[in-house]
Amino acid sequence: MAETLVARSALRAHVAPPAAPAGAPGFTLREVPDLTLASVAALKGREAELAEAVRAAYGLDLPQGPKRVASGPVAFVGAGPGKWLAVSSAATDFSALPAAVADQSDGRSAFRLAGPKARETLATLIQVDLHPRAFGAGDVALTHAASIAVTLWQLDDEPSYEILMFRTYAATLWRWIVEAGRSRGVEARLAG
Amino acid sequence: MSQSNRLAAGGLIDRASSIGFTFDGRRYAGHPGDTLASALLANGVKLVGRSFKYHRPRGVLTAGSEEPNALVELRSGARREPNAKATVAELYDGLEATSQNRWPSLAFDLMAVNQLASPVFVAGFYYKTFMWPAKFWEKLYEPMIRRAAGLGRLSGEADPDSYEKITAHCDVLVIGSGPAGLAAALAAGRSGARVILAEEDFALGGRLNSDRRLIGDKTSAAWAAEAVAELESLPEVTVLRRTPVVGVYDDGVYAALERVSDHMREPGAHQPRQRLWRIVAKRSVLAAGALERPIPFGGNDTPGVMLASAVRTYLNRFGVAPGKRAVVYANNDDAAATIADLAAAGCEVVAVVDARGDAPALHAAARAARASLVFGGAIARAYGGRSLKGCEIVDGRGGGFKVACDLIAVSGGWNPSIQLTTHLSARPVWDDRLAAFLPGARPVGMEVAGAAEGAYGLGDALAAGFRAGAAAAEACGFAAGAVDVPATDQEPGDTHGRGPWRSPVKRGKAFVDFQNDVTVSDVELAAREGFKSVEHLKRYTTLGMATDQGRTSNVLGLALMAEITGRSIPETGITAARAPFTPVAIGALAGAHRHKEFRPTRLPPSHFWAEEQGAVFTETGQWMRAAYFPRPGEKDWFESAVREVTTVRTAVGVYDASTLGKIDIQGADAGVFLDRVYVNAFSSLAVGKARYGLMLREDGVAMDDGTTTRLGETHYYMTTTTANAGGVMRHLELCKQWLWPELDVHFSSVTDQWAQYAIAGPRSREVVAALVDEGFDVSNEALPYMGARELTVCGGVKARLFRLSFSGELAYELAVPARYGDAMIRAIIKAGEPFGICPYGAEALAIMRIEKGHAAGPELNGNTTAADLGMGKMLSKKKDFIGRTMSGREAFLDPERPSLVGFRPVDRSARLRSGAHFVPRGETPSAANDQGYMTSTAYSPSNGHWIGLGFLARGPERMGEIVRAYDPVRGGDVEVEVVSPVFVDPEGARLRG
Repeated sequence: MAETLVARSALRAHVAPPAAPAGAPGFTLREVPDLTLASVAALKGREAELAEAVRAAYGLDLPQGPKRVASGPVAFVGAGPGKWLAVSSAATDFSALPAAVADQSDGRSAFRLAGPKARETLATLIQVDLHPRAFGAGDVALTHAASIAVTLWQLDDEPSYEILMFRTYAATLWRWIVEAGRSRGVEARLAG
Repeated sequence: MSQSNRLAAGGLIDRASSIGFTFDGRRYAGHPGDTLASALLANGVKLVGRSFKYHRPRGVLTAGSEEPNALVELRSGARREPNAKATVAELYDGLEATSQNRWPSLAFDLMAVNQLASPVFVAGFYYKTFMWPAKFWEKLYEPMIRRAAGLGRLSGEADPDSYEKITAHCDVLVIGSGPAGLAAALAAGRSGARVILAEEDFALGGRLNSDRRLIGDKTSAAWAAEAVAELESLPEVTVLRRTPVVGVYDDGVYAALERVSDHMREPGAHQPRQRLWRIVAKRSVLAAGALERPIPFGGNDTPGVMLASAVRTYLNRFGVAPGKRAVVYANNDDAAATIADLAAAGCEVVAVVDARGDAPALHAAARAARASLVFGGAIARAYGGRSLKGCEIVDGRGGGFKVACDLIAVSGGWNPSIQLTTHLSARPVWDDRLAAFLPGARPVGMEVAGAAEGAYGLGDALAAGFRAGAAAAEACGFAAGAVDVPATDQEPGDTHGRGPWRSPVKRGKAFVDFQNDVTVSDVELAAREGFKSVEHLKRYTTLGMATDQGRTSNVLGLALMAEITGRSIPETGITAARAPFTPVAIGALAGAHRHKEFRPTRLPPSHFWAEEQGAVFTETGQWMRAAYFPRPGEKDWFESAVREVTTVRTAVGVYDASTLGKIDIQGADAGVFLDRVYVNAFSSLAVGKARYGLMLREDGVAMDDGTTTRLGETHYYMTTTTANAGGVMRHLELCKQWLWPELDVHFSSVTDQWAQYAIAGPRSREVVAALVDEGFDVSNEALPYMGARELTVCGGVKARLFRLSFSGELAYELAVPARYGDAMIRAIIKAGEPFGICPYGAEALAIMRIEKGHAAGPELNGNTTAADLGMGKMLSKKKDFIGRTMSGREAFLDPERPSLVGFRPVDRSARLRSGAHFVPRGETPSAANDQGYMTSTAYSPSNGHWIGLGFLARGPERMGEIVRAYDPVRGGDVEVEVVSPVFVDPEGARLRG
């Protein structure tokens, strides 16, 4: 039998450079590793069954519209009519849900941005209104960062955000955030 | 250098600190708060540039972004910026400015001989003169004209600075920070609305800083400073200095350009030079003010002739006397303030020329300043060459006299700055009382306030600003409350400037458009030659087409044309503007995304490993793919690719196929759905089997191809070509959401989820067997050609194994979750070592697919049908599918239509090239004899000669025939034999082995 395989991030320092600010960081940028992700789509005529299954398994009401609901390690993110992204920071098996479920744990990479300059930095890449009056904790945007498709949500009022992109775009988006963040005190470190 | 023309006191400059700058190599000093123009004037420098066509000496006409004359090159080296307006350029320590458009020097410009020839340099000169021979235009005339008539030089070097784009949302955008703008921002800001105040100047206040007015008991400048302090204390108000709003777009979107670092020697660490703002505003208040018009007279471009309002700006805002002996020439009362301010600054006002003769306010000011007063008169001409020495004045009764002066302040009325109201095509409206164009229909959500709307009085502008700001905030759901408009001192008299539009005396050149050197005579000539519409006038004379967008000249030119042709101004035409309001560097439009970062770079899972192997990469769309893996001693890609092909065909190779689009398809109707999007059937496919599928567009042309595997009863896994992955996903979503919403089918892009490696070659089964976990059988019986199964590899990693072959060899595709992709390729190489494995890249892949006759991008080129591709038989007759009906149209059934066949050179040593056209042997190459074209060629290591694929009329019926492959572009003319497109293992025995 061949040797066991080691999991690797999509990022390497030479394509996704770290950054350290001269003074206090304006915001921090981190990869969020090892998320369990699955796209979940309600099957025709079985929408209620799915909602009930999610409630029973995770104690969550599936959000309608671009919202994120969370309980413990598990969150459901609205991703379109009848579509969600299931997210978990623990090992979670979403495949038993009565829905069209596709594992995306390796299909997407996730970053977390936190700090007072996170919002302004995102505004250089994302065109949706992130002002607290328009976008708060639990809000979700399916949009694009410059030309990269992303899913963005706000976690808390620090503010901190998580941004998901297709895995093969991770290095580019990292560079773009770091580039926009250099004048705003980005402190960016790769995991591990 | 002493600042000889700096007043002893006053102005919004920091007199405590002195900053040095150079102009044409000479050192001067100025103060923070100066513009380059104000600092030059303070130092007594009047000659700043040479004009575009005649190389006439030019000075400073205005004090703002409308400046047509004082254009300079700023900085040097790669940062050299041509056509910078000295009136806008903020002075900084070490600023380096150079006059432009002169040779060898500003004071002595040899090109000024153009003036002597000026009778021939009239409007339309280029069109009339440089007509024949036509071919001379590009090579001779145009470069010659460009050298003689230019506006500064580009650095020719790469721009060393960075740019940024940012989006901001607000309730109320206020454009301009004069009295109306500040009032609007205060009213909206106090209500709690999110407000952005954008001002192109580095100082906020507009004419509040330029004029000596009173608001309540404060000077207007002090009131402005307090208003700004209050605005900056409001948490939801953003004040953007040095930020002109340059464009208005649909749905309340505005573009603004923030000059972040243009007032510094070079940008600070990590700071962009400029930042392009995309502002999304629910409401906006345009408070852009108004710009004064000149009155043309002979020699009105002599350095020392200046707009009367600009004179006040230099006196009051910058503490600079632009001259010591002034003549004022006006057709309205606004210049009364200029007379008073000149006198207050200790300058002599020697004469006031009132073009009308009935202006009491002007007369009172003239008397107070002890100036000679000329009723109903005009300036006949100004003289002095490089610096104004005097002028000839005529009175209304035919008398005339000369006056020595070093400044002429001209006031011809005002043009409201309504450009932004016309960016969405609304037409302005002429107002006879104001003698000005006013905004017509406003862009949705925009209100116009203050001088931009023709409310020139300070009190009116403040009131209008407060009103508009409050209304805008209330429209956004905020309570603005009562507005308390402060009292102001007495307004000047009639400032409307209803003519005369020009000096009645014609002596010397009287300029209308200074930047493009268009004179009153040029307008007359245009009228004589029939170019009477404003659009023709503009194009024939180039009036208003310079970088100043005709800010000081458009309305004037129009008024003159109306006068000459005896029509009203609205009958003659209107002037509308397009974005951008001021020039925008292309770099700012690109923002941070340029060079390698122009678009994202997608890195497949094996990328880092491939880098370690020394792979040479190629870009495929956004993807970086390994093109080949050179080994020591191989001198080019060809040698490496040939070695890689040979290894695959004789042993085993591995290729990263992860870039193929991969779509997870689930739902009770998934099979039915696939039957409709593919030409062939998929609902009949057995679970655990893959099938090649072809998709057509609605018009019957091939769109994409790939294999789709049935993983479960209601679960399929589709692959697409690398280039079309996004397009196919969009197509599927369109079909589901719009064509067949009743179907239960769901898609998820899993392109990035799976690292998928093709392991190909006669030894591939042995490699795969070494990787899969115990208990999984990969024998031909257990996993036959086109079989697929889910299993685990390398000790429990879930994987999918497909028995697919693109190379034509015994082959597998092994997919593992992407996080294991890096480890997987290393494990495959290790497991393959005993069997002689090598990685192969896109070059080897391309050779092998041509050897097998597989269609790819060059064949799926948007013109070809299934039948053209030799896949006509795949079109199912038992079901409907997208493209079926249109596949049957007459042109597609034409038997003469070229279809896919293979080619090999008759002379086996000859090289084939794609792009060659097929011509029957013995016929002349011509469009009539064209029978098709070569799409793909390669040297085939398996055949030992070049091979090709291409589309040939009746191709499949002509096997063995010899035709010419004619390639005039590269001088190729090769005889080729028509053969089967499958050059290797035509029976397919290997891939089934």
